[in-house]
Amino acid sequence: MIELLSAANAGVLTLLILALAALAYVLARHRALRAVDGDVRRLHSLPSYYGYAAAMLTAVPALLVLAVWLIVQPWLVQMQVAQTIPAADGARAVETLPALLSDAGIALGGTLEPAIVEAAQQHARLRALGHAGRSLVVLVLAIAGLVAALRMTDPTFRARNTVESGVRALLILAASLAILTTVGIVLSMLFESINFFRAHPWQDFFFGDSWSPNFRGDSDLSILPLLWGTLYISFIALAVAVPIGLYAAIYLSEYANNRVRSIAKPLLEILAGIPTIVYGLFALLTVGPFLVSVFGRGEDGLLGVDWMNGATSVLTAGLVMGIMLIPFVSSLSDDIINAVPQSLRDGSYGLGATHSETIRQVVLPAALPGIVGAILLAASRAIGETMIVVLGAGAIARISANPFEAMTTITTRIVSQLTGDTDFASPETLVAFALGLTLFVLTLALNVLALYIVRRYREQYE
Amino acid sequence: MTANAEAPGTEPKISARNVQVYYGDTHAIKDVSVDIEDKTVTAFIGPSGCGKSTFLRCINRMNDTIDVARVEGDIRIDGEDIYDRRVDPVQLRAKVGMVFQKPNPFPKSIYDNVAYGPRIHGLARNKAELDDIVERALRRGAIWDEVKDRLSAPGTGLSGGQQQRLCIARAVATEPEVLLMDEPCSALDPIATAQVEELIDELRQNYSVVIVTHSMQQAARVSQKTAFFHLGHLVEYGETDRIFTAPEDPRTESYITGRIG
Repeated sequence: MIELLSAANAGVLTLLILALAALAYVLARHRALRAVDGDVRRLHSLPSYYGYAAAMLTAVPALLVLAVWLIVQPWLVQMQVAQTIPAADGARAVETLPALLSDAGIALGGTLEPAIVEAAQQHARLRALGHAGRSLVVLVLAIAGLVAALRMTDPTFRARNTVESGVRALLILAASLAILTTVGIVLSMLFESINFFRAHPWQDFFFGDSWSPNFRGDSDLSILPLLWGTLYISFIALAVAVPIGLYAAIYLSEYANNRVRSIAKPLLEILAGIPTIVYGLFALLTVGPFLVSVFGRGEDGLLGVDWMNGATSVLTAGLVMGIMLIPFVSSLSDDIINAVPQSLRDGSYGLGATHSETIRQVVLPAALPGIVGAILLAASRAIGETMIVVLGAGAIARISANPFEAMTTITTRIVSQLTGDTDFASPETLVAFALGLTLFVLTLALNVLALYIVRRYREQYE
Repeated sequence: MTANAEAPGTEPKISARNVQVYYGDTHAIKDVSVDIEDKTVTAFIGPSGCGKSTFLRCINRMNDTIDVARVEGDIRIDGEDIYDRRVDPVQLRAKVGMVFQKPNPFPKSIYDNVAYGPRIHGLARNKAELDDIVERALRRGAIWDEVKDRLSAPGTGLSGGQQQRLCIARAVATEPEVLLMDEPCSALDPIATAQVEELIDELRQNYSVVIVTHSMQQAARVSQKTAFFHLGHLVEYGETDRIFTAPEDPRTESYITGRIG
């Protein structure tokens, strides 16, 4: 019996519980119907609700206990076993293990200390015992739930309300999982960043002026040149995306007739569906060489100037990123402009204002907070964008005002610090987490600000 | 047609002949002819969907802003065909002001709301003149005393009745000749309604006022002439007293006595 119980792994157990739950559904539904001789109107809830409630009571507590057990048992067993190994022995065993492994194989067993062997045996024993106990407890709980649910099933039991609260709990669980994941991400970044700041002075990270990672150690790891590159490229991107996106939105929402809108809007939104790596290729292979042929090559160039040497530059990445952001700005602004009440436009027309006067003086001021929010959201996307800058901006960290030079951004440096052979204890690798955290804080602040502005704007018209 | 109960000798301010309006395939106004006098309050009454608001919106060509709307027939203001090619609807609307059902102040200050029309039409040469126009309009809108200390406060922060009077002040600030009002009191409480009605009566001194209303009591209180619309037709038009005491058409009588509507 014990063998059978300990053999049941978590998957089998889950299946068993679900089978029990299905059984509970059928039985409870049947019982509820029988209690009123098939007259559904005398039941508090529809028969299937009795079934769902019983299935819920059978499965949920058992599955919860199973989940908790899965997490807690290995930890408890570890604690128990670790106590039996003398402290010094434990340490030495770990130290000698690589050497033993290099001896390759069976000889290894003979050199093990008796305490370790005993601990291993105890570990296996405890594990088997734990598994048996787990199966027993979980199954007993499921059956108890089934029995309790069946006993509860009578015409006055509020099965519908029970199921409703179960559904609510499920929704709350889903929502909190999403939030907890965010918290988890932040915490993991935070811990790695703390490790980084132990190994590298924070003054250099935040206020230094040079970025030159060096895998032999002793690197300059300052965020400022990267932040400058990020902000410069984002600024150019917004300078491209905001006017074009906004004008497109104004045209689509105010001037275009239905036919044009039904064609142009999906076309614009196709831009938003292009993977950013494709934009990156576009930057590298098309926009960059084009810009070089305009601004570079000396006498052979279109302008006869020699300002630009390579295809990768701030301008290349900024232009392409701007194109990427156009649909983002335009579709958000379009929604916001459409949300301005028609009555305001009528009021303005009624006073003899022309179409463009109405847009300039009534519609846009009314939509302005929302548009600002849209721009901030676009900015936070620009700051976090990676693939376009990896391919389009170059890899040189510098603080310069020349848009024709290659620069690099926070995101591309995170990629390059974490790819290839990396030692996860060196500041050169850990700096990626500090960079990521800074980036996260930056975009989070922008998003919060944008949402706050958009929400205030919404309240104004509701 | 029982329209045209015109006293001989007075030139009508607005004269409409055989007006048809279509919304796509729907024939919303069917062959309406009417003469509206200057310095008079004319009320349009009728059940919902009878076309009274649609006809009102023909008078300042607001229907032009609706893509599917089409207007046929002849509407003249002071003898000038307003649907003539040479007439710019934008200029027409400066001459024919409009107040809407729901108060719709712009999300600007009270001052800027009233100054909006004068600014876009260049009615003031300098700040002092504009101040003057704004004050006069607010006084005429019977709201000056309530807002004179907070002209820079947002117009959207006023109460519903104040907002509607602000919108009336905004409409009169451009010195229109005709003022169209589309159910101006339907979103207001009885006290605000009384204030607006009193205001309408004062505005009659200077303007030809056309008001669409669902309330027959209101039509009886504020208007001198009443037009009854039903299913897109102008059923009866004449002196308000006569319409309400001795209607000629059985449909008018049914509506006034509450049997249809």
